[in-house]
Amino acid sequence: MIVGNRKDFKEILEKLGPRRRVLVLGCNECVTVCGVGGEREVGVLASELRLFWKKEGETFEVREHTLERQCDCEYIDQIRGFADEYDVILSMACGAGVQYVSEAYKTKLVLPAVNTTFLGVTIEQGVWSERCQGCGACILDMTAGVCPIARCAKSLLNGPCGGSSGGKCEIDNETDCAWQLIVDRLKESGQMERYEEILPVKDWRSGREGGPRKRVREDLKL
Amino acid sequence: MELSDRTTNKDPAKPVGAVMVVGGGIGGMQASLDLAESGFFVYLVDNSPTIGGVMSQLDKTFPTNDCAMCIMSPKLVGTGGHRNIRVITHAEVKEITGPPGSFEAAIIRRPRYIRADKCTGCGECAKHCPVTAIDSYNEGMSKRAAVYLRYPQAIPKVFLIDRDTCIGCGLCERACLAGAVDYGDKESVEKISVGSVILAPGFEVFAAERRPEFGYGVFPNVLTSIEFERILSATGPHRSHLLRPSDGAIPERIAFIQCVGSRDVKCGNDYCSSICCMYAVKEAIIAKEHVPFVKPTIFNMDIRAYGKGFDAYYERAKADYDVRFIKSMVSKVREKQGTGNLLVTFLNEEGKASEEEFDLVVLSVGMTPSQSVRDMAARLGVNLNRFGFCETETFTPLATSREGIYVCGAFQSPKDIPETVAQASGAAGAAAEIIASARGTLAIKKEYPPESEVKPEDEARIGVFVCHCGINIGGVVNVPAVREYASTLPNVIHADENLYTCSQDTQEKIKNAVKEHGLNRVIVASCSPRTHEPMFRETIREAGLNKFLFEMANIRDQCSWVHMRRKAEATEKAKLLVRMAVANARLNSPLTETEVPVIQRGLVIGGGVAGMTAALCLAEQGFEVFLVEKEDRLGGNLLHLHHTIEGGDVKAFLRGLIARALDNSKIHVLLNSQIVDFNGVRGNFTTGVRTAPDMVYQKIQHGITILATGAQEEKPDGYLYGEDPRVLTQLELEDRLDQAGDDAIQLQDVVMIQCVGSRNEKHPSCSRTCCATAVKNALKLKKLNPAMNIRILYRDIRTYGFLETYYTQARREGIVFVRYDAEESPEVKKEGETLLISFEDKILKERMTLKPDLIVLSSASIPRENKELANLLKVPRTAEGFFLEAHMKLRPVDFASDGIYVAGSAHAPKLISESISQAYAAAARACTILSKDNLMVGGIVAVVDGERCAACLTCVRVCPYDVPVVNVRGEAEIDIIQCKGCGTCAAECPARAIDLMHFTTGQLEAKVGALVEG
Amino acid sequence: MRLSYPSNVKVVKLPCTGRVDVLLILRAFESGVDGVYVAGCMEGECHFLRGNLRARRRVEYVKGLLEEVGLGGGRVEMFNMSASQGQRFAQFAREMTERIRLLGPSPVRK
Repeated sequence: MIVGNRKDFKEILEKLGPRRRVLVLGCNECVTVCGVGGEREVGVLASELRLFWKKEGETFEVREHTLERQCDCEYIDQIRGFADEYDVILSMACGAGVQYVSEAYKTKLVLPAVNTTFLGVTIEQGVWSERCQGCGACILDMTAGVCPIARCAKSLLNGPCGGSSGGKCEIDNETDCAWQLIVDRLKESGQMERYEEILPVKDWRSGREGGPRKRVREDLKL
Repeated sequence: MELSDRTTNKDPAKPVGAVMVVGGGIGGMQASLDLAESGFFVYLVDNSPTIGGVMSQLDKTFPTNDCAMCIMSPKLVGTGGHRNIRVITHAEVKEITGPPGSFEAAIIRRPRYIRADKCTGCGECAKHCPVTAIDSYNEGMSKRAAVYLRYPQAIPKVFLIDRDTCIGCGLCERACLAGAVDYGDKESVEKISVGSVILAPGFEVFAAERRPEFGYGVFPNVLTSIEFERILSATGPHRSHLLRPSDGAIPERIAFIQCVGSRDVKCGNDYCSSICCMYAVKEAIIAKEHVPFVKPTIFNMDIRAYGKGFDAYYERAKADYDVRFIKSMVSKVREKQGTGNLLVTFLNEEGKASEEEFDLVVLSVGMTPSQSVRDMAARLGVNLNRFGFCETETFTPLATSREGIYVCGAFQSPKDIPETVAQASGAAGAAAEIIASARGTLAIKKEYPPESEVKPEDEARIGVFVCHCGINIGGVVNVPAVREYASTLPNVIHADENLYTCSQDTQEKIKNAVKEHGLNRVIVASCSPRTHEPMFRETIREAGLNKFLFEMANIRDQCSWVHMRRKAEATEKAKLLVRMAVANARLNSPLTETEVPVIQRGLVIGGGVAGMTAALCLAEQGFEVFLVEKEDRLGGNLLHLHHTIEGGDVKAFLRGLIARALDNSKIHVLLNSQIVDFNGVRGNFTTGVRTAPDMVYQKIQHGITILATGAQEEKPDGYLYGEDPRVLTQLELEDRLDQAGDDAIQLQDVVMIQCVGSRNEKHPSCSRTCCATAVKNALKLKKLNPAMNIRILYRDIRTYGFLETYYTQARREGIVFVRYDAEESPEVKKEGETLLISFEDKILKERMTLKPDLIVLSSASIPRENKELANLLKVPRTAEGFFLEAHMKLRPVDFASDGIYVAGSAHAPKLISESISQAYAAAARACTILSKDNLMVGGIVAVVDGERCAACLTCVRVCPYDVPVVNVRGEAEIDIIQCKGCGTCAAECPARAIDLMHFTTGQLEAKVGALVEG
Repeated sequence: MRLSYPSNVKVVKLPCTGRVDVLLILRAFESGVDGVYVAGCMEGECHFLRGNLRARRRVEYVKGLLEEVGLGGGRVEMFNMSASQGQRFAQFAREMTERIRLLGPSPVRK
């Protein structure tokens, strides 16, 4: 799932500037699951705005609404009826959602309330961790199911750097060294011989470096 | 309730479907609730003016430090309000006549001088009473009026006049607006018909004056443990401030003296009171928590921390609370002149007399049946043992000497709360067995008018009834003004005020108002919903409204009583509380409770003594039972035992039990069988069983499950066990004594080692039964060969209760007991063919080496393999692998998941008699489900709006009972049968897709929205 | 026990503090209350096993939110007490009232 972080309230206030009619727009997908942009978080942010402006003695209108998804235009269309009543749409979706809403409401100011951070998994209730960078050319078969692109700070492909100590990464001792994990897993699954194989230089063009990506499946198209 | 209907038994051939429970302490309440929930009518007779017993006086309970009153009050309220329990307090049983199944009991009811049907418990009388009397609830350490309620949470909440101190001035009579005072009240005798009887009269503490050397009653700073308990309590004489009596100073050095009136041949009490070690540890810990600089010292002979989790508690007291334990009996306590301090004389570990100064001495007084209980036993023809406790046999621990009369709790033998509760449920099972055919004949089933439909879109029509509560509310809050204000609130159609809204005539008034004004919501602004909501819900239900359409505003406990001196403010607050109630009531919706049918069949897993006993108890009550045993025959651990310490013939007993189980047509015994899958909820489980050798698979449908998978003797590690045939376990010795008793005569020197594999890091608990087993086998050896030298190396001898008498006997017969410390375990080695054992002798202060003929290891009791079963049934286990009950204190045989129970040593190591009691208990608890055709489910439960659910698993993870699941549609689903209505999922669902009925987000927000006007 | 405490304290009954929702506390502040405290069972004694522990975390979270919007985290608190500790209930009611009095009326209500 896509994992994000709520922006600081102060930053959101600054971005809103003088605008006081706000539609706080949540998304009932990834950001709900990772507790950053679902109906509950929409309620919290809206409540914060109301409390702040009430305190300041201002007049304002804050509306809460959560869409099934902000990355499909049919859902985005559902707010067509009332979006115009607001100065600004404060989207709590990931960056994709914010952009797509913005594309659909060209005359509206659409602001992000969330910093989209990574593709990850739930480690335990309330804890998420990065697993994938969407590089476009998966090598997990070679690395015992642990991605060195996403999980090694240097994205090294052939073994750890000199900063690996005690199984931890030099950037902080809470972070596992991805190559330690790979080696442990190779051993556990009895494929240690794979460690000897040299991974070729990665072609980064399939990833972000090749420019914005697009995917088409002809058979599904209408 | 029509009394005349139930006072005579119309058909003498058929038993009476009612039970009399004598004693309303925690045991009596538990037995009453279990019976009442299983279709019997219960008369609960208590000598005291209120139920609750000794537990109501306790501050905390070991080993969880739970607040006693907090965990007990739901039972109090449940007992007091149960339709099928009639509580008769301030009364005693005069006689019981007639045959079992059809007893007639005569009950003497002492005058209360306050009419129970009129008293509202408001306490105005006590405020006006000029008399200052001594308060026995606080053990004489505080004062009360002559008209009083024993303690604030008392059930029944009816005052009484103590005529010994009352001067008859009449002030209370004038103060009581309810007209409840009746000076002319007289003693009366009532006769009731019951099928069986349970005696649960409890205990009193040993009279500490009988040990004059400790100075109780002479030196003010020598207290009994129960007095100290009251001092620690929030409702005690000093409101939980730890102060000593003589000068109100904080006592820093506190000495606890154990075994006062217990293990004491001189005063005739040569039994162990079983609970004092643990309560002393608890009181020491709690005192330390109150005042961190307190230094508690516990003088003891042995610390008998034999129960589940007790040793861990004891170790924590030493390690985390610095409680000092001195293995010594105190010989004398004297007062140091002019200080109030106490000089305690004792033999120190070196065996020298020494003296130490303390600020306070607490005497850990033992348990003993009171004289009035002994007198009652004599009147009822129930035999007592030589200590005055009720006599029972090893294999029938719940039966008294008189057929049809059962016993539980501290009257049977000294015991703690969980064992009392388990035995109480057990007694309920036994008492139900003999009258099972009369189940449901006397229990009251209430018929209600049909509910009128209230749809969400219907306009709310609210009636508000504001209560004066005599002058309790009206004397502070301007009730007419509140009523007036209520009538101006939106949707309020009718507003009224009453002197006592809880009185019988007001209920009629409310019902009429519902009809006359077409009300569809009712609000009562009065006292606490805790005590009164059930009654008002009943009233509106009788008026044809769903009970959840009732709402309460607490303008007494939360307003008039606490803002007595601020009348204007109190009135304003009362208005606001009513406003909040109206905001909430508008959104109250009728909640339907649905009936789900119960499969009236049981599954018992484990065919040992506990499993067979539980299965038989269910079968005798007419329920079909599947009894699943892994091995190829029934019997479990008892197959390896021969005699009990009391001399009971285990083999003969077991043969009889197996025959009964096999012969009972209701019991389906499945040998060589194992559980392979398990599904469902209380009332409706489906279990897959596979039977060897062909591994035939079958599905069993059942309403309840009892786990009785037992425990086993651990194969010891070390001490040359398994390497030398002269090193045996107790179980092996027992077998050998039975098979070849004569060869034991050849033995000259036998050494037994206690705590092998118990009370260590890997297995911190005491195995409970091994001390008694060692004593039993040692006595047996001694009998075979009186010249034999027997030494038992021990850490603490834990022969609790009446087992103590055998320990005394063993010492008399010359069996030598030598204490060792955990750090210095005895060493066993071999030199050539000679077996050597060496250990530290504490008294001689030297290392002893012996050449025994035989070494017997008292090995730990460990659970049988149960991990897979625990996973299948989703029930928790302790770190040591024993099954973990729902609550250590008050739900000793229940699991947190309803409908699953535990019995026998699968729960923790147990004696045979204890396993039998617990098996009956599990069966009785199971009958609270099996005896019902249907279960009512729903009401205050969480509901999911599947449309909004993001299937994020938050609810699945946060639910403390693992109820929610994500279903095949990819939506969270919460089973209303299992949901307990805590609302945690609703509070955390990130999509706000879950709501808790009756406490919906909409309601709560409306309520807080009404907090501030405008 | 009838121990007096300030009349500005009003109780909203819940089945368990586990039901206390972050949003419910915020909504209370929106409606203009000066302070909110959650009164739960003693830790380790929750009737529903851990509702009071969940509630404490949520209260801590709301403290942060109130700081962000400038109301001050001190306006919300979690207290633990047992059913027999009327004294403690009254004491917390007084303590919290005193604390809120020092903080002054909620700026939201002007």
